Amino acid sequence: MSAKGNPALSNRRRDGVEPLISVQDLIVRYGENEVLKGVNLDIYPGETMVILGASGSGKSTLLRRLEALEKPTSGHIYIKGVDVANCSSEELQQVRRIMGVSFQSAAMFNSMTVGDNVALPLREHTKLAEPTIRLMTQMKLAQVGLAGAEDLFPSQLSGGMRKRASVARALAMDPEILVFDEPSAGLDPIIGAGIDQLILHLKQAFKMTIVIVTHEMASAFLIADRMCMLHKGRIIAVGTREEFENTDNARVRQFLDRVPDEPGSGEAGFLSGLSPHGA
Amino acid sequence: MSFLEAVGRSAIEKVEYVGGLTIQFWRGLLSSWRANPITGSRLRWKSTLAHMAVVGVGALPVVCLIAAATGLIMAFQGGAELRRFGALQFVINLVGVSMTRELGPLMTAIVVIGRSGSSFAAEIGTMVVTEEVDALRTMAIDPVEFLLAPKYVAMMVMLPCLTIAAVTSGILAGGIFTYFTLDMSLHVYLRATLEVLVLRDIVTSMIKAIGFGTIIVHVGCFEGFHVSGGPVGVGRSTTAAVVKSIFLVVLADLIFTAFFYLFW
Repeated sequence: MSAKGNPALSNRRRDGVEPLISVQDLIVRYGENEVLKGVNLDIYPGETMVILGASGSGKSTLLRRLEALEKPTSGHIYIKGVDVANCSSEELQQVRRIMGVSFQSAAMFNSMTVGDNVALPLREHTKLAEPTIRLMTQMKLAQVGLAGAEDLFPSQLSGGMRKRASVARALAMDPEILVFDEPSAGLDPIIGAGIDQLILHLKQAFKMTIVIVTHEMASAFLIADRMCMLHKGRIIAVGTREEFENTDNARVRQFLDRVPDEPGSGEAGFLSGLSPHGA
Repeated sequence: MSFLEAVGRSAIEKVEYVGGLTIQFWRGLLSSWRANPITGSRLRWKSTLAHMAVVGVGALPVVCLIAAATGLIMAFQGGAELRRFGALQFVINLVGVSMTRELGPLMTAIVVIGRSGSSFAAEIGTMVVTEEVDALRTMAIDPVEFLLAPKYVAMMVMLPCLTIAAVTSGILAGGIFTYFTLDMSLHVYLRATLEVLVLRDIVTSMIKAIGFGTIIVHVGCFEGFHVSGGPVGVGRSTTAAVVKSIFLVVLADLIFTAFFYLFW
């Protein structure tokens, strides 16, 4: 397991295999507030990487950079060799086509049916005939356990079904990389377990590279090949499930054992640093 | 914060706003290529047609009603003064010219701001809050092309049409006034109006409609794309879209009118 301040460990090469995603010295600053403080992380083809961290640790900030939705203050994010932090818009569009994203809120277009949602990337980026697109949409929905739901509207689906539908949409272009933001957030344990099983099924069936941001430990230990933990804008640990289980890193142990912060530190410390008017 | 700092910060924010609006305008103009029926894609054109129905057909009754009421009010107000000089027949000139050059485009724009400008901001703002705009970007779909361009093309077609309908309604309402006060038939009234109007008045009206339409779409969408702060932010941006659009439309009207007065 890598340690704080030792990015070389997280950048290790796996028997000559080049990482599919490589984050190098990533810094993100909002005004005076440095949210990510030099993150280094490599994700290899076919592996499932779970990014763990407490609220406010920088997980979502890192994920938005991995999805190329926002530019970092400095540093590099190489996805299939393209630095998405410093590339042309054409290169960025190419990278986005090999990436599927399932958002925390599912982000389904409420004015479209589930079928039209899933078909959208196909209609936008391919010249396939409409019957072929319809067939592919049905297949993608069947893969996530939503066969026959194409004519329903997202508002008619439950939270878990909406998440599944958003996974079907993310799978539409057969991406090499699948990104999940808090896949089981807001779902009951049974539905959440169903989403975990779906991710495991996708991992085994399609051998795709999966990046998941979560703080649900049971889910993370079930799905992950490797995990990393963000703390105060730095990656403090990277390793396999077993390495995480046996770690003696104090912060990781605290996270795994669900031990609250001391009064005045953590969230409490964060809050005490703010004035009532945010000045 | 000192007074100078406050003024400077406010000036920078205004310049940033205008800069952002200008960039969005050019991107919207380029994207319109894919949202029109001749060169566009089938997907965008379907969306453009749907927006045409909402922006144009949906607004037609209220635009005509307001324009007719405005035409009638102007005839009454103008008639009250002109009667003192025995020049009541000049109500025809007053209603015809001012409805065509000024009030038709302006009243139409204000109604469309209330109906469509606000809904553009609310629709896009909600999509930003629910991560739908982010989802579009991660699917390599340009939100400006997908969301703004169909609205822009629809507005470019429908606002001039609505303006023509508003001008016609206002002038016809003026005819009711002259029928009862000058005992003038509608046929004679319309012939007199057509003699008063020149091509320049109609061209002015259409140029204004296109300018106002551009402002309404871009301000509405810009406010939507820049929503922050959840549902409260959506409400704030909707209000801002209406207020800023009305201000910019009136400002543009002043510039257009001054330009046409001085140079044409």
